[in-house]
Amino acid sequence: MLRSLAIPFLGMGLAASPASAQSMSPMRGEVTSFTDAFAVRVFPSNPYNKKIRIDVRVYDQNFQPVDAKIAPDSFMLGAEASRPVLVVVPFDGNNERKVRICTESVPFPNEQTQIKAQICGKFLGQRRF
Amino acid sequence: MKYCILTAGLAVAACSIAQPALAATGNVTFNGTVAAICTLVVTNGSGTMTVSPDLQSLSSHNAGGVAGTITATTTGNVAISIGAPTAITVPPADVTPITWAPTYSVAGAHTVAETGASSNLSTPGVDTVTVHLTGTKTGSDIFAAGNYSATVTVTCQ
Repeated sequence: MLRSLAIPFLGMGLAASPASAQSMSPMRGEVTSFTDAFAVRVFPSNPYNKKIRIDVRVYDQNFQPVDAKIAPDSFMLGAEASRPVLVVVPFDGNNERKVRICTESVPFPNEQTQIKAQICGKFLGQRRF
Repeated sequence: MKYCILTAGLAVAACSIAQPALAATGNVTFNGTVAAICTLVVTNGSGTMTVSPDLQSLSSHNAGGVAGTITATTTGNVAISIGAPTAITVPPADVTPITWAPTYSVAGAHTVAETGASSNLSTPGVDTVTVHLTGTKTGSDIFAAGNYSATVTVTCQ
């Protein structure tokens, strides 16, 4: 499993070198895995000039939650900072799986109508035997 | 004659010294790829809904209401959409149904009239996304006194 994960990590890492003022990168990706799961590394960013809390969630194409391993799935991120988040998605018996990996900013409290910004990347995992 | 030969020899030597070096050229090729990127910055997360005179509409469109605003920056090839409101709270006295309708409009590099559907932002640019929320009662139902709140999610994907 470790060997198969290392290949997509490298590819995604090169394509996703983080920069300031991005909410998440990459927003598109295809990963080939030789195991029963595939991994994606994304880089949520905080474009604000103050620290915020960020949640990372994984959904299917219908925005239903996917039981993926996200490390870390919730964290504080400093102003204009970025950090890597590792997401491991099971194929659940399928040969391929399309998921959305979303970075969600947590709304500031004590307001009547709270606006939550959500940046979602679309990723395709393909299983090879 | 000797003088002439010597002169000629010096000339040959001078030519040898001045002979230009062979020019070596090389090309450096640069490549770059800009991926689809979207940044959403909530510039006004304090939307306010006010009630209509007939007490059947609670909306940021009503007089005194304030819309939420988001600045969206994208390299293009993304879509923006709005989700159903979540974390809805109503006062205990309100026991009748409410139909919630979140909408948004886009102005700036792109123009999208107020809608609740998904919109493609196919070209790069910076936009202001204005977010509204409206709750509606029907029949003889009206809003009750108390605090209402909801969370609206704007998605860029």
